[in-house]
Amino acid sequence: MLTSINPTMKAFAVLIPALLLAFTFDPLTPFIYLVFTVAVTFFFSKVAFKRWILIFSPFLLLAVSFAWMTMLHPSDAFSGGDVLISVWSFQVTTESFWAGISLGLRSLSFAALSLLFILTTDSTKFMLSLMQQCKLPPKLTFGILAGYRFLPTFRYELQVLRQAHRIRGVGRAKGVKERLHQFRRYAIPLLANAIRKAERVALAMESKGFTGETDRTHYHEMTIDKRDWIFVSVFFVMFFVSVFLSYQLGFLNIFGKDF
Amino acid sequence: MTTKWNLREIVLMAILGVVFAVIYLFFFTVGTGLTNILTPFGLGPFGYEVIFGIWFIVSIITAYIIRKPGAALISETIAGGVQVLLGSPAGPMLIVSAFIQGLGAEAAFAATKYRNFSKSVLMAAGVGAAVFSFIWGLYHSGYIALSFPLLSSMLIVRVISGALIAGLLGKWITERLADTGVLRSYALGKEWQTKREHKAS
Repeated sequence: MLTSINPTMKAFAVLIPALLLAFTFDPLTPFIYLVFTVAVTFFFSKVAFKRWILIFSPFLLLAVSFAWMTMLHPSDAFSGGDVLISVWSFQVTTESFWAGISLGLRSLSFAALSLLFILTTDSTKFMLSLMQQCKLPPKLTFGILAGYRFLPTFRYELQVLRQAHRIRGVGRAKGVKERLHQFRRYAIPLLANAIRKAERVALAMESKGFTGETDRTHYHEMTIDKRDWIFVSVFFVMFFVSVFLSYQLGFLNIFGKDF
Repeated sequence: MTTKWNLREIVLMAILGVVFAVIYLFFFTVGTGLTNILTPFGLGPFGYEVIFGIWFIVSIITAYIIRKPGAALISETIAGGVQVLLGSPAGPMLIVSAFIQGLGAEAAFAATKYRNFSKSVLMAAGVGAAVFSFIWGLYHSGYIALSFPLLSSMLIVRVISGALIAGLLGKWITERLADTGVLRSYALGKEWQTKREHKAS
């Protein structure tokens, strides 16, 4: 199951292919990878399709938008081929069309990889694993976890602030100038409170004997076992499989060069 | 000036990273809204370019307050990482992008050897982050497939946004915070206090 994979290893498993996919400019390679990622997401985790598609759909729109921009304004390397359609003074050629589709699909496979990580990873475990496996300093780790825990408190403070303003007769802002003023009335006290909290947390940590030494024991031990390595390798190998497949089918294109 | 960090500064940096991660996530939706308006003209991604500077702001604010090597870089990376914790759909790649943006801002401060935190240096940090993030976008988002005139206008918009939103707005927010007195135990707060005493005498 995806939820039990070590979070740091999982992060690398989705990072490396995404970095490599950025080399390809043909539509097939990212498409194969997209299908693979989505398949892994649904076969090896209990992510509900409804939830997944709800987060994924905004990316469809972004991908279409980016693909459309690439088609209309391609660089010289991607503007060859026959003219497919002309819009206003722009011409969409076959090459720019496929480059656009490729970039759109690339951003979709990035999104699918991210969702695979986001929807199956516990944030606290991710931080603990970063500390134990990636040697993130404990001072930073616990600082971030403390800040993360404060987020609901910040929302509550915003509510209090809003009610305090309302009870004193400060109405809703109208116009740009009042909006700016309102932004300042909310943002500065909230940030000032956050800074005060940071100071208090630091004092509390020190007074409880937290030295931030890296040589320490952990209540939640995060480990890496064979399964995690297999998981990473599958994602890594699958990139080369999709490159190979699109090479065999004559699609492969790396930085504008056909192979 | 010492370069050793104390726990108070580290926790402040972490918490600023967390707070701005939420703001960054919110502006992601703002950017999407702007994109929708611009898409029919084939200029969709400009929606993000206009407000891109907001995504560098924590670098400028933290470096301005703490004034130690690494403040800009680490705070931005934290903000990226916390967005992942919060469930940003951009995923772990965001940490890499944030790291590169942070490097850009850090470069500007490093160039002055962390001695100068004037308005122009803060704006230069915003510009640095914009340029670095743009170079990263050339590779990662495939901007390289776009035409040169479009690319250069995107870069110009992003640089201006970085200088104004990250540099100027960041400076303004930090100074209003210093006015409240909560920064008294950090580098900026100390400078602020001496300035005030100077004025009073």
